[in-house]
Amino acid sequence: MRNRVVITGIGVCSPVGSTVAGFWENLLAGKSGIGPVTLFDASTLTVRIGGEVKDLDPAGLAREFPEVVHETDRKIRLGLTASSQAIRDAALEREDLHTAAVFTGVSLESFPLEQAGMASDAHDLIQAMVSQSGIRLQTPLDRLAHIMGAHYGFRGGQITNCSACAAGTQVIGEAFRRLRAGWCELAVTGAADSVLNPLGLGGFSLLRILSTENDRPQQACRPFDATRQGTVLGEGAAFLVLETLSHAHRRNARIYAEVLGYGTSLDAYRATDPEPGGRGAVRSMKRALVDAGLHAQQVDGINAHGTGTPKNDSAETHALKEALGHHAFAIPVTANKSMTGHLIAASGALEAAASALTLHTGWMPPTINLDQPDPQCDLDYVPEGRRVFDGKVVLSNSFGFGGQNATLIFGKYEE
Amino acid sequence: MSAPSATRPLTETIVITGIGMVTPLGSDPAAVLEGIKAGTTAIAAPRNFDTSLFACPVCASIDDFRPHDFITEAKLIRLMSRDAQLAAAAAHLALADAGLKSDRFHAPEEIGLFGATGMAGLPVREIAPLLKASTDATGRFDMGKFGEEGLRGVSPILSFKILSNMPVCFVSICENIQGPNAVYTPWEGHGARAIEAGILALIDGDANCVLVGASDVKTHELAFLALEQLGLFESWKRSEAGLAPGEGAVFLVFETAATALNRGAKTYASISNWNFKCQQGPPQAEVLEAAIHSLAAPQIGAVIAAANSDPVLDRAEAEALWLTKIDSLPRLSPKQHLGDLFAAAAPLQVALAALLAKQLGQTVLANCFGHGAEQAAFLLEPL
Repeated sequence: MRNRVVITGIGVCSPVGSTVAGFWENLLAGKSGIGPVTLFDASTLTVRIGGEVKDLDPAGLAREFPEVVHETDRKIRLGLTASSQAIRDAALEREDLHTAAVFTGVSLESFPLEQAGMASDAHDLIQAMVSQSGIRLQTPLDRLAHIMGAHYGFRGGQITNCSACAAGTQVIGEAFRRLRAGWCELAVTGAADSVLNPLGLGGFSLLRILSTENDRPQQACRPFDATRQGTVLGEGAAFLVLETLSHAHRRNARIYAEVLGYGTSLDAYRATDPEPGGRGAVRSMKRALVDAGLHAQQVDGINAHGTGTPKNDSAETHALKEALGHHAFAIPVTANKSMTGHLIAASGALEAAASALTLHTGWMPPTINLDQPDPQCDLDYVPEGRRVFDGKVVLSNSFGFGGQNATLIFGKYEE
Repeated sequence: MSAPSATRPLTETIVITGIGMVTPLGSDPAAVLEGIKAGTTAIAAPRNFDTSLFACPVCASIDDFRPHDFITEAKLIRLMSRDAQLAAAAAHLALADAGLKSDRFHAPEEIGLFGATGMAGLPVREIAPLLKASTDATGRFDMGKFGEEGLRGVSPILSFKILSNMPVCFVSICENIQGPNAVYTPWEGHGARAIEAGILALIDGDANCVLVGASDVKTHELAFLALEQLGLFESWKRSEAGLAPGEGAVFLVFETAATALNRGAKTYASISNWNFKCQQGPPQAEVLEAAIHSLAAPQIGAVIAAANSDPVLDRAEAEALWLTKIDSLPRLSPKQHLGDLFAAAAPLQVALAALLAKQLGQTVLANCFGHGAEQAAFLLEPL
């Protein structure tokens, strides 16, 4: 027997808002959260813009999580902010959480090089780091799950997924699969990331996938536009509370949406580029459709990976047409990254939250900065502004560095 | 402390049809097992870096690894960290052992890939030049110099070396695996999660065959620094003994028994059950006991112990085995011979348990305990 799985709590911490209401209002209004990087002095870097979380509340976080008051890894602060929101939003009691599993998605360690001194060689670096016990170059990537586990008493599993830009989608998919199969009844699942640090921004800029339009940050990320030059890095976190429908009914929980299907695939192509024909993305979407027991024609809207890089957007468009056939032309496709930037591991989780809110509120956010449509990107990307959405099924894509693809399908909740 | 059980009756018989490993005791799984049984050890003072700054003076390194023996594309090797090179080699060996290199019985999209990786395996020699060029006259990091000079000396592929999913992605690229996937990080329990994810993919019908495994490299200064700062070398300070970091990769090929039979594959053992428990704080015997309690069947003939030379964890494991009344069974402790492979430890434990189960004709328990919250155990049955 398969359980139905529903979303009963949402928490977000994003460049366009750090409450669900603020995030959704700004996303629907087409407001960009991209601006000059202020977290550190980026003035000598090629790329000096990003999607920073501006309204993080360190005092509030310290009151709720005194154990992380000295935490320097920003993604942990972002993740705790979003996950605590989601748990509160779901109105969960502490005893509910003891049987819950937590699934967190992350990408890479932060390597705070700016905290390291360097006298002459590698030996000196190590010596300096050993003697300065408060400075750590590496924080284990399971730290967020570990803190959440200790704080809330999660004992149903603490899983940390590091599937790059697909991680946020994969953790929600994995939690969904386990709930559906009856492995557990309740899961807190999502992802957090911040690569807006010297090595993160500097390292990604070397890959030549970032927009260098530092003088017009809010227009720099232009998914599906003919003039797009690259993506913009963002930071943030999003968490969902998933539970079986029977568990949600037992506690009279509010339901945002239902999770219907999940699929993944690998490009097995190149480390540096997506497969141009989007074959891996097609397989990911088709697997999710089969998993959900849906036909392509039953999909009513798409939350695209839509990074704004020349290669991704044309490959994703091609893949959508391949996976959904002519139906792809008949449905809206939105690219949230046009406003938030690319949150790497957290992007899939944030876009899952947006997909659930699309179904719950009946509005689809626009793709902003799409002024000159690319002839190769010829779908309906909702460029004009938010749109009424009366559909029942939204498909959300995430494609990761290295060729990991993941797709989630959400449905409007109906008894 | 009670915790919900993760064990469920298996609806399919899952069998291991291929084992590939690159370890400090070699790359021949049978020889590695015999080496452990004979008491051979690869743990020694490292030759490639100075451990005098750390409490731990030893590690278990692989001295004769040649990536070109396993990866044909030289350009690809340059993009890969050592973790990724080891992963690709072990995966190659596992698929060859399963007979799937010569006989592509499964289409690429029918093969799943579930892996784990450790903390980013970035040798300090790769970031030291960057830091040096980014430091001002007083020895402080200068953001202006970082942008103007430091980054100039950095390879554009640095991000690919520190992204934690890349070792597994390189396996997919080298072996053309296109099926369902996930990557976990960074401890022993996360390697065990990769194994579980592979089993679930087969049970759910997501894949006809899965490659599961992990790689980890803890035999360089930055890894030692991280382990020292995390307190994992504390026992060395107290007793001049403790865990020995190692490096290596282990991958396993899983198929359903029906699929393996259908293609005439050789089999090592079946995974008849497994269990996970969560632990907060230091290792606790009752958590480990809970992890193995439901698996402790009378027919168990031997135990592959986690035994990572951390006195607290080892005491907790010994007590858990005593509580489960299997403390008198023959026991192997691989980490005492080839170091702690961290993320790759669980696949190694399960691989050795499968080999031993086949050899003994008896069920073998593989304890995959370690650092982090997730503590797991697997039961391997002879076929």
